[in-house]
Amino acid sequence: MFKKILIANRGEIALRIVYACRELGIKTVAVHSEPDKDSLHVRFADEDVCIGPARSSESYLNISSVIAAAEITDTDAIHPGYGFLAESAAFAEVCKACKIKFIGPKPNVIATMGEKSKAREVARKAGVPVLPGSDGVVEELDAALVIAHEIGFPVIVKASAGGGGRGMRIAQDAKELARVFPVAREESRAAFSIPDVYIEKYLPNPRHIEFQILADEKGNMIHLGERECSIQRRHQKVIEEAPSTALSADLRRRMAEAAIKTARAVKYENAGTIEFLLQDGKFYFIEMNTRVQVEHPVTEMVTGVDIVKEQIRIAAGEKLSRKQEDIVIRGHSIECRINAEDPETFMPAPGLITTYHPPGGPGVRVDSAVHSDCRISPYYDSMVAKLITHGGNRDEAISRMRRSLDVMVVEGIKTSIPLQKKILSDPDFQKGNISTRFLERYVR
Amino acid sequence: MDSKELKDLMEYVSRSNFAEFELESEGLKLKLVKESAKTAGSVGAGMMPQTIYAMPFPQSQMAPMANPGPGPAPAAQKAGAAAHPQGTASGEIYQVTSPMVGTFYRSSNPTAPAYVEVGTMVKKGQAICIVEAMKLMNEIESEVAGEILEIPVANGQPVEYGEVLFRVRLTA
Repeated sequence: MFKKILIANRGEIALRIVYACRELGIKTVAVHSEPDKDSLHVRFADEDVCIGPARSSESYLNISSVIAAAEITDTDAIHPGYGFLAESAAFAEVCKACKIKFIGPKPNVIATMGEKSKAREVARKAGVPVLPGSDGVVEELDAALVIAHEIGFPVIVKASAGGGGRGMRIAQDAKELARVFPVAREESRAAFSIPDVYIEKYLPNPRHIEFQILADEKGNMIHLGERECSIQRRHQKVIEEAPSTALSADLRRRMAEAAIKTARAVKYENAGTIEFLLQDGKFYFIEMNTRVQVEHPVTEMVTGVDIVKEQIRIAAGEKLSRKQEDIVIRGHSIECRINAEDPETFMPAPGLITTYHPPGGPGVRVDSAVHSDCRISPYYDSMVAKLITHGGNRDEAISRMRRSLDVMVVEGIKTSIPLQKKILSDPDFQKGNISTRFLERYVR
Repeated sequence: MDSKELKDLMEYVSRSNFAEFELESEGLKLKLVKESAKTAGSVGAGMMPQTIYAMPFPQSQMAPMANPGPGPAPAAQKAGAAAHPQGTASGEIYQVTSPMVGTFYRSSNPTAPAYVEVGTMVKKGQAICIVEAMKLMNEIESEVAGEILEIPVANGQPVEYGEVLFRVRLTA
């Protein structure tokens, strides 16, 4: 097992990793930017190193600084969390060259699955359904129009390097495609420095269902069931839950098999997530995330598996602690992302939190790195806390979430709590009658 | 400047089209930055998920003191001469800080003499130490001219970004 792990991240996920390391008896090194020097992940880690100024590109994204921090602290492994360097094949490669274990899959797997058009090909070749669309990248508008006519409108143009909804455009007809195709390429170039886009059939009313995979380095692979993340705005998830109300036992089994097949096709190692769209009983692979997800706690709540500890054990060369038949889904879990943002306009609202009171009681978990008198910095993402509840069934998980949102106090900044309350009291949400377009009734 | 003058100035700046306002006079340095100016451009850049670009190594340079960090908004920061020497006038103390995380070396190799000792007079642009990050030796040059007063870090010791490496008394 590792003696010391450096956490190349900040905020709640860095703290989450500190907790896992403490439970495993592993020393931790926090890295931080100048404005983050008083944050909780720094305070609760065993050692800390300032790696640069506020700007991420000069601190949390600066590979040489993170590696230098690992070297001066004599670290034997790095956990990248999510975001920042978590899906950087280059970073994983440098770790390997420096003989520091990267807690995640191999660099070439990150590279393959990180490029969406390639990942789609991997799934298709493994016999997993993908949405009708282009074979790989489309460079010319003429080719795009030919494919769109073959598969039928509406279509979606997606950035191959994409994420977070950038470089993504929907076209209802040929005229609109002619207009949005160059825009998507330009946006992709601006956001990811590569203009590559591909085309897929656009589903008007799908559900977003993803499967959590765990694989050790000895070829054992299991899944921890699904998460439903249909409540999203502009491809940013707002509420996640496990299990999904949309899956029959048979559909769940078929989707899980497809997820495992896709992950096996690239000899996947460590924790990963296979994302699908589901509409009218049919499911389609859309992408894979080669890291721990923000919403991993709902899976932990219903399976009892500590995903972050599993990641560390797997990277240390241990066998998976459980077999597929040991995984039993118990009850229901929901996660609400509480962000520092205007609940009406979704504009980020950084500032000083004057009062903070997290809810508690049975079946409630709060993953957060904020406290009273702490500043939500404009330099990083706007997440304040992840509020997670667990209940014997979905109704109990919902009522626990509603009473938790009612007593959660975050003063000094605007948060998304009012929006979360509206969603949780919506009769359609309560019936599980949701899709990725659900939020359009509340926000544009 | 008394508190009323300061308040008037802040009001004037907040009504104006200026994004930033700086004033320096008689040992007082004042910088006003509008919140809208600070957040524009930075919000989004740090949001996840994001694509990663390999970053070049930071250039050999001095990190100036009195770095305007993310202060309260609207940021009215008084960078007083006592707290953060700006290092403009002769006789003042200038702190040379590490521009990167790494290992501090006082000489170019184990057998070579140290670049500088306490008491050495340095010129602007003179190499004064090395910070090694990922096997790369980054030669650090002095941004100021003056006398080395103190070297708080020992040879071979790890240093963080922003850690004080030298205190220099400035010469004109």
